[in-house]
Amino acid sequence: MTPSTRRLVVIVALLGTAGFVVWGLTGLPPFGGYRGPYGFRINAIAVAQTHATGVVSAVNFFYRGFDTVGEEYILFIAATGVATVLRRLRGESEAGTDPQELDVPPTSEAVRMFTLGLLGFVFVMGWYLASHAQTSPAGGFQGGVVSVSAVLMIYLAGQYLRSRRLSPIDLLDALEAAGAGGFAAVGIGTLAAGAAYLADVLPLGNHLGAVNSSGTIVLISLLVGVEVTAAFLVIASELLEQTLLVGGER
Amino acid sequence: MSLLASAASPPAPPYALHLLQASLLVLTLVGATAVVLTRQPVRQVVTLSIYGLVLALLFLSYQAPDVSLSELTIGAVLLPLLLLLTLAKLKNSAK
Amino acid sequence: MSHPGAPSDVLLPLVVVVPLLVAAGVSALNPLLKPHHRLLDAIAITTSGAVTTLLVLILVRTSGGQQLYWFAGVRPHHGIALGVDFAVGSLNAGLAALAGLLVTASMVFSWRYFEQVSTWFHALMLMFLAGMVGFCLTGDLFDLFVWFEVMGVAAYALTAYRSEEKGPLQGALNFAITNSVAAYLSLMGIALVYARTGALNMAQIGHALAGRPADGLVIVAFVLILIGLLTKSAIVPFHFWLADAHAVAPTPVCVLFSGVMVELGLYGVARVYWSIFGDALGHRGSVTAVFMALGVLTALVGAVFAFRQRHLKRLLAFSTVSHAGLFLMGLAVLSPLGLAGSAAYVIGHGLVKAALFLCAGIVLHRLGTIDETELHGRGRELKLTGAVFTLAALGLADLPPFATYLGAGWVGNTASSHGMAYVTPVVMLSSIIVGGAVLRAAGGIFFGLGDPPLEDERRREESREETSETEAGQGRTPLTMLVPAAVLVVAAIGVGLVPGIGAAIEHAAMQLEDQAGYVATVLHGAHVVHPITPMAPEPTVPRLIDVASALGTVAGSVLVALAALYRRRLPVLAGYRRSEVTGFVANSLQSGVVNDYVTWMMVGLVALGGALAFSIH
Repeated sequence: MTPSTRRLVVIVALLGTAGFVVWGLTGLPPFGGYRGPYGFRINAIAVAQTHATGVVSAVNFFYRGFDTVGEEYILFIAATGVATVLRRLRGESEAGTDPQELDVPPTSEAVRMFTLGLLGFVFVMGWYLASHAQTSPAGGFQGGVVSVSAVLMIYLAGQYLRSRRLSPIDLLDALEAAGAGGFAAVGIGTLAAGAAYLADVLPLGNHLGAVNSSGTIVLISLLVGVEVTAAFLVIASELLEQTLLVGGER
Repeated sequence: MSLLASAASPPAPPYALHLLQASLLVLTLVGATAVVLTRQPVRQVVTLSIYGLVLALLFLSYQAPDVSLSELTIGAVLLPLLLLLTLAKLKNSAK
Repeated sequence: MSHPGAPSDVLLPLVVVVPLLVAAGVSALNPLLKPHHRLLDAIAITTSGAVTTLLVLILVRTSGGQQLYWFAGVRPHHGIALGVDFAVGSLNAGLAALAGLLVTASMVFSWRYFEQVSTWFHALMLMFLAGMVGFCLTGDLFDLFVWFEVMGVAAYALTAYRSEEKGPLQGALNFAITNSVAAYLSLMGIALVYARTGALNMAQIGHALAGRPADGLVIVAFVLILIGLLTKSAIVPFHFWLADAHAVAPTPVCVLFSGVMVELGLYGVARVYWSIFGDALGHRGSVTAVFMALGVLTALVGAVFAFRQRHLKRLLAFSTVSHAGLFLMGLAVLSPLGLAGSAAYVIGHGLVKAALFLCAGIVLHRLGTIDETELHGRGRELKLTGAVFTLAALGLADLPPFATYLGAGWVGNTASSHGMAYVTPVVMLSSIIVGGAVLRAAGGIFFGLGDPPLEDERRREESREETSETEAGQGRTPLTMLVPAAVLVVAAIGVGLVPGIGAAIEHAAMQLEDQAGYVATVLHGAHVVHPITPMAPEPTVPRLIDVASALGTVAGSVLVALAALYRRRLPVLAGYRRSEVTGFVANSLQSGVVNDYVTWMMVGLVALGGALAFSIH
């Protein structure tokens, strides 16, 4: 198709699709009118059953924890895929890039001061979120992405080579695999304990809202935090290496 | 945040919240259109980042702080960063 | 009724979790394992072999009723399911076992195939397997989507695996973009259904929707969910990505794409229809008409495009498109025998198509090219490979006793007994064209039959994306490459010969089509031994006429192949030259431009949605 024919066809098809989908949307419940029963039932039993006051986390890491295993693996596969493709493009499936070949652009003093000053806070914030899935609407995913942005601040401060030394790519790969595999392995643990896969077998604690309440939920949340942090760092650092490589394509 | 708090107590009519939600929905539409219509790649990434921010606020106004937090970091920071890195690489190779 | 944690149940989560864990394990130990390729191969082969064995064990158990597993031990309460379940009947267990078998075969094949394979290949293959198995076994709509995505992302990464070249990246991008757009549409459909029913469990959704006549929301949700599945199963006009992806993906990966991934999409259509929308939609005639139209279109378009190809992998890819159309036609009848016919067809086709791709891989490994014209007569020395390839090609053309002939016969029979007499001719015609195309390739490459190619044919710009996948010009064919192909062909014959296979497959189909039984099993723990379906079962024992028409298909394929090979000597065809008009049309359809593919997808959505909306509503 030539671009102009395509545009014409797409416009007609999209108008048709829009009409069709809007017809479906008219069957939705009125705005804000939730009909249940999933939410009603969860709200009725989740807190008592799991001792987690962050009910969304209870759904993500307990009631539908198996879905979350799959989702973690989607991220893991995506990061693995990006790494495979980019490492092959650089022609270095075996050896890493020599730091001498990387050209890290300098940043201003002000940016460096600001980012390095914020760094610690952001990092702590990330792991606070990851470790409080049971008592807040946050969890491992949110915590993970926040702590990734902390690491990216190091790059922003012009200290990429230093962070590269602190977290070599092999370590990130291993951490990423450990996070995803660890989550799946928690289920093997619960099977070994005689319960169902990913059942909540750890003690629930006596205090609602305490960090050590809600059994496996917090453990899983932390593992998800590790997985998400490592996966995004793998993707980001592969792209960084690709971009910073002196002389472009090899 | 006070708007959200007032929405939690049923007797108070949540007009303010509805107004906020409605304006965020309009902003979402405008933002999405702007992203599609921006032709210059680097500008498009910036528009996309702002659009991510709008979405994060929208989710927050619908009482989904967890989704909002993810959207804030992914949509407004990480995704634009990855795209910018790719664009930088393309510019390097073109040289 | 089964209990969570009871030993019989543990197999269900394990078949997904074990490959996931091994994949994570080998990735974490990457630096240690890198120097030990053989160890890595052995781990991966053992894992997929073990998963396959467990799946066969599960398959055996399902003959006495569906197997259930509730994750986290969260069981439904008064018909409300909060957790995720695996609900496994014979059909989905069998399909998952086929996936396991093909992954194992491709891993064995890869043993000597790649000059160098990193840990990632093994990890990605195992996660791809886990995704396929999870997709087959799950009883939860959102979980279905999750494993659909696991499978998809792994498939994109595997397609791009040989990314030193430009081709693989382009093919993988087309694949990823089209399938992601389709997956978003599916997710939108799932959201619509959730807004209506507040449920994600398929049995519960089906039960909640069945109460009242289908309105716009139900029809739109059905169509949107279908788009993702039909795209994965390469149904025209959602099929364009398939040939591009197959042309560039490594051969062991093509085996899985054609042999089972495409078919999983159609399993998804069957699962979603019979577990969720069947009772709610009603109007079975309309559903049949729409699916049948898509199936016939796909079967014929795929066949014609296959026949036009000289690139062996693309040829085989389009033959998969054509067969996907045939499977959809069987499913479209909505009868137990129709679904059983598709299932038998899928098994037979999966095994022979995998063998064909493996042989194509051997050709590439030994001779360094995959272009039929260039290869003319050069495969004479590959006697065993040629024999396996030819046998598999005959199996693809429905030669009895390959399982494919059972499938073709059942699909035709059930369609004619429901007033669709045109189905048998369409099945035969497309099988003849596809079989003819593959046999033409076999005759030319391995036996040097036919007129040698003209010089200008040799220089056609047929894609050469595929050169450095393996070190070309190897002296001999390793046994690890030939044996899997031979075993798969033998298995395809064996399945067709198993006594009582017809009744067993039809029973499996009835288990899947029994929506009330499914709801009772999943939500209330009932034990359904004798499934009841809206349409009655029909006899499966092949009659003489079925065998005769299958043999007719084979004879037709051979004739077509010979005619194509010797066309310059045939007075009728001597003056024939490739028509420029059809070439132009074909090339502008299969343009390689992803924008076009997505455009066609939207056109397909409107057509499919419009047809269902007007006929049901």
